[in-house]
Amino acid sequence: MLILTRKLGEAITISDDIKITVLETKGKQVKLGIEAPAHITVHRAEIYQLIREQNIQAAKVDSIEKETLPDILTGLKSLF
Amino acid sequence: MNVVTARFGEIEVDESKIINMQGGIIGFEHLKKYILHMQDEKNPFWWYQSLDDGKIAFVVINPFIAKADYEPVISDNDIKFLEIKGPDDVVLLAIVTILQNPFSVSANLRAPIVINAEKRIAKQIILEDQTYPVKYYLTTGPADEAAATGDSEKPNNCKTASL
Repeated sequence: MLILTRKLGEAITISDDIKITVLETKGKQVKLGIEAPAHITVHRAEIYQLIREQNIQAAKVDSIEKETLPDILTGLKSLF
Repeated sequence: MNVVTARFGEIEVDESKIINMQGGIIGFEHLKKYILHMQDEKNPFWWYQSLDDGKIAFVVINPFIAKADYEPVISDNDIKFLEIKGPDDVVLLAIVTILQNPFSVSANLRAPIVINAEKRIAKQIILEDQTYPVKYYLTTGPADEAAATGDSEKPNNCKTASL
């Protein structure tokens, strides 16, 4: 991990199109401003991790028997 | 083109139906091309099948079927990124997780897949609003109650969708 120390108002650049600025510090919180092109996604790490894990779990549907799954999905139709 | 899939065997893909995800599904960023495949006409659960890796397919559902008053806020950045001109361009899908032992089915309302149906480009977005859970349960039962106590993402009124 690269560790840099910044003061309020100072920034970090990543690649040639991403910039992170320390906007405000208040007690234990730091407000960061992120400038990046639209195709770069920026998220709080813990929510990103949560979504990532959920997607991986969802993809595990391939471990459910090919034969059972159509029955499960048909059974669920009654929910709607 | 023909694609070999783990679940459906070899399928013929209409190239005009291919959906391109520049960013991919979070956790599967290397997979960019998908096709939406219907189980059968009357089944609300569809398959979001990867064309880059035949083994990967997600069960998805129109989130409005799961929750009729679903009102996700799509950021201006994402609207621009997906070249969305109006609400008619947009199709939303929620990824469904099916677990056995105990059995449960949940839809991810927090991170829907947003598709520009006209341009056939898509992105999985994470909503800023914490109202919508990552696990919105479509089934009820002991699995639900057990999960409710441990899952801080799930709101109290999360229940089976009503007809």
